[in-house]
Amino acid sequence: MNMPAAPNGPKKLSLKENYALLTRGLGWDTSYEDMDKAFPLDKFEGIRIHDWEKWEDPFRLTMDAYWKYQGEKERKLYAIVDAFQQNNGQFNVVDARYINTLKLFLTGVSPLEYAAHRGFAMAGRNFRGTSARIACQMQAIDELRHAQTQAHTISQYNKFFNGLHDPGHMHDRVWYLSVPKSYFEDAMTAGPFEFVTAISFSFEYVLTNLLFMPFMSGAAYNGDMATVTFGFSAQSDESRHMTLGLEVVKFILEQDPANIPIVQRWLDKWFWRGYRLLGLVSMMMDYMLPRRVMSWAEAWEMYFEQNGGALFNDLARYGIRMPKYHDVASMEKHRLSHEVWGIFYNYTHAAAFHTWVPEQAEMEWLASKYPETFDRLYRPRLEYWRAQQEQGKRFYNPTLPMLCQTCQIPMGFTEPDDPTKICYRESDYRDNKFHFCSDGCKDIFDNEPEKYVQSWLPVHQIYQGNCFRPGVDPTAPGFDPLAEVLLYYGYHVGEDGGEYLDSPDRRNWEQWTGKPAVAT
Amino acid sequence: MSYRLTIEPLGQTVEAEEGQTMLDACLRAGVWLPHACGHGLCATCKVQIVDGEIENGSASPFALMDFERDEGRALACCATLQSDVTIEADIDEDPDARHVPVRDFIGVVTAHSDLSPTIKGITLELAEDFDFQAGQYIQVHIPHDEAPRAFSLANPPGTGRRIELNVRRVPDGKGTAWLHDDVKVGDPIRFAGPFGRFFVRTSDPKPLIFIAGGSGLSSPRSMILDLLQRGETRVITLIHGARNRSELYYREELAALATAYSNFHYVPALSEPSEACEWSGFSGHAHEAAAAHFGGDFREHRAYLCGPPPMIEACIRTLMQGRLFERDIFTEKFLTSADAAQGVARSPLFRTL
Ligand SMILES: Cc1cc2nc3c(=O)[nH]c(=O)nc-3n(C[C@H](O)[C@H](O)[C@H](O)COP(=O)(O)OP(=O)(O)OC[C@H]3O[C@@H](n4cnc5c(N)ncnc54)[C@H](O)[C@@H]3O)c2cc1C
Ligand code: FES
Ligand SMILES: [Fe+2]
Ligand SMILES: [Fe+2]
Repeated sequence: MNMPAAPNGPKKLSLKENYALLTRGLGWDTSYEDMDKAFPLDKFEGIRIHDWEKWEDPFRLTMDAYWKYQGEKERKLYAIVDAFQQNNGQFNVVDARYINTLKLFLTGVSPLEYAAHRGFAMAGRNFRGTSARIACQMQAIDELRHAQTQAHTISQYNKFFNGLHDPGHMHDRVWYLSVPKSYFEDAMTAGPFEFVTAISFSFEYVLTNLLFMPFMSGAAYNGDMATVTFGFSAQSDESRHMTLGLEVVKFILEQDPANIPIVQRWLDKWFWRGYRLLGLVSMMMDYMLPRRVMSWAEAWEMYFEQNGGALFNDLARYGIRMPKYHDVASMEKHRLSHEVWGIFYNYTHAAAFHTWVPEQAEMEWLASKYPETFDRLYRPRLEYWRAQQEQGKRFYNPTLPMLCQTCQIPMGFTEPDDPTKICYRESDYRDNKFHFCSDGCKDIFDNEPEKYVQSWLPVHQIYQGNCFRPGVDPTAPGFDPLAEVLLYYGYHVGEDGGEYLDSPDRRNWEQWTGKPAVAT
Repeated sequence: MSYRLTIEPLGQTVEAEEGQTMLDACLRAGVWLPHACGHGLCATCKVQIVDGEIENGSASPFALMDFERDEGRALACCATLQSDVTIEADIDEDPDARHVPVRDFIGVVTAHSDLSPTIKGITLELAEDFDFQAGQYIQVHIPHDEAPRAFSLANPPGTGRRIELNVRRVPDGKGTAWLHDDVKVGDPIRFAGPFGRFFVRTSDPKPLIFIAGGSGLSSPRSMILDLLQRGETRVITLIHGARNRSELYYREELAALATAYSNFHYVPALSEPSEACEWSGFSGHAHEAAAAHFGGDFREHRAYLCGPPPMIEACIRTLMQGRLFERDIFTEKFLTSADAAQGVARSPLFRTL
């Protein structure tokens, strides 16, 4: 008997069937080795998973499609970056102050892309469920590409501006870069479930708009087309990462009621850690972008209070509540950026980027965005600094600050109900005192003291003599420990940090472009 | 000028206006497509064009690659139609959906009576048989008004040319006032239908829970009568929430069914019973009655919720905390224009709930 010929040959697999074969189809259970030994890390956190089959693939991207897709994307990005370089695009930005946001991003955030690559590779190894494993592995590759494209995109600026010459070296040593570094290492040294809850959900889903929106729109507003292009190319991966975050949290919450309090504690912790990290973004938005996009307070209202509020309203169906201290973050929204900029203005000689006092017109903008706080609390201080500077006494703080044991930011934040009083919290643990910038940071420590007593706090490390170059003799006459620390950081002292108006960046900008150092 | 957009594998067809994006046309017609950014950047809404001409609009070159454009992919959130189009989207087909085509009808009112102080039972007789899936609704045309009003079918399919609506009067509502006060036996009523994806997933073997609030009994009644007539053997539980005894319509019929079918349980609940109600049943809201009846544990069930949005939300929370999740819960929200205007913002955490 003749078989009827299929008119179109064998049926092409649908995307879904294709992905199912790649994931569940390729997975197997170990037979001569215990599964608990093959996956030793997915139980100790207390998360109970009964049925990995309930995992719903948040996206279905097969390997062949992935390579094809990313290949074309990268060709396009580098074509635009090439054109940018040919045309000296770096001189089209509004003024050289803007470059300092790139310095902060490339030294503070780009290494996190690399850390995310490592973290997702580890999480991908440690999940028993095949689909979760594949999703994490794909993201690990994405993150490696992000680190690479950012370095390539921003490196053009390194040829013309200071402070961008060795982001990797700085990330592992510099005091304020320990803030993003320790944030990520905290996540990576947790178990795989906490890692994805922290990074995919709390960071990439809940808080990422507060990082990428200001940075990418900031680039567009300030004439930095290379960064805008990089932003577009990354955004097409980002939505995949965000859906992974949503799926992870839904999956864990639905698997067992005992998971709910564990997830709640992680959401509390990673909300606060992420919020503290975003303090750097707040000063970028309000102080560092010469052309401003929106204020930090506006961004917080829109992206956290509204969008995050809708999300937590939906999560309430599972019995999850708003993260602890979200109300404190909202109370602080009218002061956060001013406090953080104040800290960096103090210590800018020990930073790899410049700071400055905003121009009159910029202060008017700040006053209009922060009517309750700016004129009363922050303008007088800025004007005092400006006056000191005009008398040749630009203020630099020569001492070392006390750091919060959890977030590692200098203790410059204020009491939730009093913006004129510095907030100090402390805990006793094993005959030692530990200090915190806030109740949020103290709670995180108190939950896992054994973890945070090990924090590598840059100021402590300096005092312990661990931040000098090899072979340097601290007992030699005339030894200047602070100058030595800057060399250990890999700075070009006198070029990378300090006041913008006194910087080589400023002089070069004026000479090379003929444009004013401070755009009006 | 509008075009027809057919969505595979659903086989459902929606109308798209000139310049309207595919995504907008689908979402407005109740067809869910994956989407996130809504403006051509993230590629979440990518679809395959099977047939027809489209315009790619402002799709970012990083979200929709050149090779994909050549292969006929498009971003639904940016693409507009240049002809009738068929797309294949990354959505799962529902094996229990029947896809009855939507048509326009005129029915003549043959009965018009009070089911309760606020709910009218309205029976229409059509010129031909009306095919639909139990749980679906129709869009009723209201004279001198652009927007039609949605009402679920309260009769089971297979009643031929006769259909029944349960219409609750909405305070200051124009359409429901017309249906309550002006419509008389013998009047013609224009409508289109059937619409909606609220139907029983018969291929799923789990026992069924129906929770109805007020006139939200319409769809569950249709679905339950249909199931029982077909010889359903799974356990079916109906929880009907009403304010007081006089609002609890169809009580005798449902109680009789519960006696006749041992697998059907009827649980009425009154939220504001008065002395006059002489009420010995459950006092409280429908979701509280459900929690009490099932001891707060709904695992291994499927739930169908029908009624006003606040009641649906309360039920979803109760069900989820009793371990029933999105894949197990189906809803029909009786939205009014007031609800639409004050809709709470939703996150993308849930697709259909
Ligand atoms: C799928 C579906 C199925 C349904 N099935 C049924 C059913 O079986 N039985 C049933 O009884 N109901 C059902 N409903 C609900 C029914 O459709 C509404 O109650 C009906 O449309 C109300 O129409 P109306 O003209 O009386 O009120 P509307 O004129 O629509 O107004 C409703 C209320 O909103 C106020 N309002 C109007 N416009 C606005 C505005 N822009 N902003 C704020 N407030 C405004 C009005 O003053 C009034 O109080 C269903 C709804 C849906 C979506
Ligand atoms: S929804 Fe993001 S590209 Fe369409
Ligand atoms: Fe990334
Ligand atoms: Fe802190």
